[in-house]
Amino acid sequence: MLARVANNLFWMGRYIERSEHIARYLNVNYFSSLDAPNDLSQSRQFVLRSMLFVADEEELKDLKEFDEQKVLFDIGLNPEKQFSILNSISNAQQNANSARDLISSELYESINTLKRAVISFDKDKFLKNGLFEFTKMITTNVPSLRTKIRGTLLHDEVYAIIMLGIYIERANQVIRIVNSKYNDALVGKVNSDISVETSYEWTTLLKCVESYDMMRRYYRKAPTSTTALDFLILNPYCPRSIMKSLHNIHYYIGYLCKDDIPHKDSAAFFIGKLKYEHQYKTIEDVQGDLKGFIEKLVEDLSLIGEKMDKDYFSRF
Amino acid sequence: MKAPINLPIFSSYEFDSRFYDEIFTENNQVREVYETLFNLFSEYSVNDFSNLNEKAKDAFFNQGITFQVYGDQETKEKIFPFDLFPRIIGNKEWTKIEKGALQRSKALNAFLWDLYHDQKIIKDGIVPIELINSSVNFLKEMKGFNPPGGIYNHVSGTDLIKHSDGDYYVLEDNIRCPSGVSYVVGNRAALKRTLFGVFNHYQSYNVSDYGQNLLEIIESVKPKGVDLPKCVVLTPGVYNSAYYEHSFLAKQMGVELVEGRDLFIENDFVYMKTIRGLERIDVIYRRVDDLFIDPLAFKKDSLLGVPGLFKSYKKGKVCLVNAPGTGVADDKAIYTYMPQIIKYYLNEEPILNNVHTYHCSRPDELKYVLENIDKLVIKPVDESGGYGISIGNKLTKAEIEKVKITIKEDPRKYIAQPIMSLSTHATYIEEENSFEPRHVDLRTFTLLGKDKDFVLKGGLTRVALKRGNLVVNSSQGGGSKDTWILKK
Repeated sequence: MLARVANNLFWMGRYIERSEHIARYLNVNYFSSLDAPNDLSQSRQFVLRSMLFVADEEELKDLKEFDEQKVLFDIGLNPEKQFSILNSISNAQQNANSARDLISSELYESINTLKRAVISFDKDKFLKNGLFEFTKMITTNVPSLRTKIRGTLLHDEVYAIIMLGIYIERANQVIRIVNSKYNDALVGKVNSDISVETSYEWTTLLKCVESYDMMRRYYRKAPTSTTALDFLILNPYCPRSIMKSLHNIHYYIGYLCKDDIPHKDSAAFFIGKLKYEHQYKTIEDVQGDLKGFIEKLVEDLSLIGEKMDKDYFSRF
Repeated sequence: MKAPINLPIFSSYEFDSRFYDEIFTENNQVREVYETLFNLFSEYSVNDFSNLNEKAKDAFFNQGITFQVYGDQETKEKIFPFDLFPRIIGNKEWTKIEKGALQRSKALNAFLWDLYHDQKIIKDGIVPIELINSSVNFLKEMKGFNPPGGIYNHVSGTDLIKHSDGDYYVLEDNIRCPSGVSYVVGNRAALKRTLFGVFNHYQSYNVSDYGQNLLEIIESVKPKGVDLPKCVVLTPGVYNSAYYEHSFLAKQMGVELVEGRDLFIENDFVYMKTIRGLERIDVIYRRVDDLFIDPLAFKKDSLLGVPGLFKSYKKGKVCLVNAPGTGVADDKAIYTYMPQIIKYYLNEEPILNNVHTYHCSRPDELKYVLENIDKLVIKPVDESGGYGISIGNKLTKAEIEKVKITIKEDPRKYIAQPIMSLSTHATYIEEENSFEPRHVDLRTFTLLGKDKDFVLKGGLTRVALKRGNLVVNSSQGGGSKDTWILKK
């Protein structure tokens, strides 16, 4: 596979995954807040701030007051904002276009059709009463794209590169969402003296990554900070957990690196090390310094991307 | 003349009896091959066609069979207009076209070999040396070089029209990088999605075997000593208007689609940059024009090519498809010699007609052209895509004078032909919500390899969507139709 095209496929996977997480975060936070159990969680400013934090933290720097229509438009459909869902889907389509000889017609057509639906989505309708419809369209279609990836491509290097993009992005988005909700829970503690351990934000967090029902089934209790974080970070069976993503990243890098003992500077070595480090972590280790853990993981995921670039995409 | 059909969708169908209408006979009868289709169409209302037309457009957009139009403010994605009414060509009629297209391709290949070797045809006084010497497309670097398998024009596109006499005429040969074959396949897919019911009633040839045949052709011209050749398609990139076709062909053949920046030359071998290192390439189906394939050999500022590629080709390390330098033979001035070229190399009578052509480089013919511009089509010899064409009877007096000055400035650059009466075909006109007659042509696709040839049993019927317009090129606002070749 061409190195340039591999890079395109990797980013196609990342943008596809990113759009789903942002869309669901928008949907869950907005609609959960409408009847949230406390005033803070119902507050528009609180919710809008949280949305921008996940979409692009940089946007928060100079803003104190948030305009609801502007924030929703920026994150959903603003072509001028790199972090918008519209741009994520467009970027996924452009990357697919550069590699369309390698992917199936069915996958390409599905991405193309979704992109057309997104760019033609009525902006006025989106702001008036279309937020649910729009975000639902994304969260329904992205899993269908993953099904096309799984069901129509050869499970070879092409597939592995796309899956690496998907799982690296998934880990990245989940940890950013955890970070956002952790911050929201801390704000609740400071402003309204709501317990961090039993904050409503953990329920929202689990719903944002489609893990609420399974978490309830696993623990048979309402979520707390400990159970929610344990489930989303360390549980090897939860399909959205960091641990599961690291396991998958390790599995798919094996398609590309055939060395029994990869070189210590390689992406494969680093991924293996990261996976096993997390496999033997406890929730107590994580909660001891949650902020430090999150920052380190974000850095490490970024380093995986850099090492993959060096090993596979920009080696010439 | 009004069509004798009571269907509302044909209420404004009035054809001009000066032209050959593909659907109706001079006696106002539906031609035999179209009768079944007409009966089937009678089941559709005007609204049905309008909806089907929208569905067809959606199918093209969703499949990404599009090209980008770059404006000052924004980039627009467009489709080449597709028409719902298929063109049907009977088996007997097709057999002649197929044989004729293959004959021309073979003759052109023999002509190119001769031009770049002994130039016997010039020495024998059949083709004048001036035409070759003055051609910007004659690559002196190719002189004496033997391309693998002896093939220059592996892929040829032959543009045909049906004149008012009901016979086919070749308008031009395209043997540089002829495009459009992806639309032949795309049009079939779109029509099957929208009007699937009509296919049960006709037995037409499938067109999806082109990719497999193209792969076999390009593999047949592998460099010496290579057992299993690694083939690629070379594209200028995603911003090229034919990018869809390039990716389509790569996918159909199951080979990589590469850009110049993906390739690398070492010790005269060509490699592509993969995630596992360098991988050797043996055959390149390049969709980049001659002058851009290698900045060391040709255009120095080209970013589309690969430095050293032409040297690698000359050393026999890689094969380029089509060979560089083929443009000299699809020059419109050479076109006029095609009957003689066919006879000279193949000792056969031309199967397909040539349109009579006046060379402005010949003083007596130049005189005739300048005096009769209103009756002629003036074409530059080295342009494609319908650019630079002047149709005499559409010009004002002032415009005719301007054309005269242009021709006189560089007579070698122009040829003239009588205004041919391109046949008309029922075409769905979106603005009118009805079928109207529009002028059409036909591009066929022929492949030549080492001991193998192939003519696609189908073609690209291009249609001029503006009433009375004779220029069918997509770059000039033309559309296209699915084209059925009947098995019986």
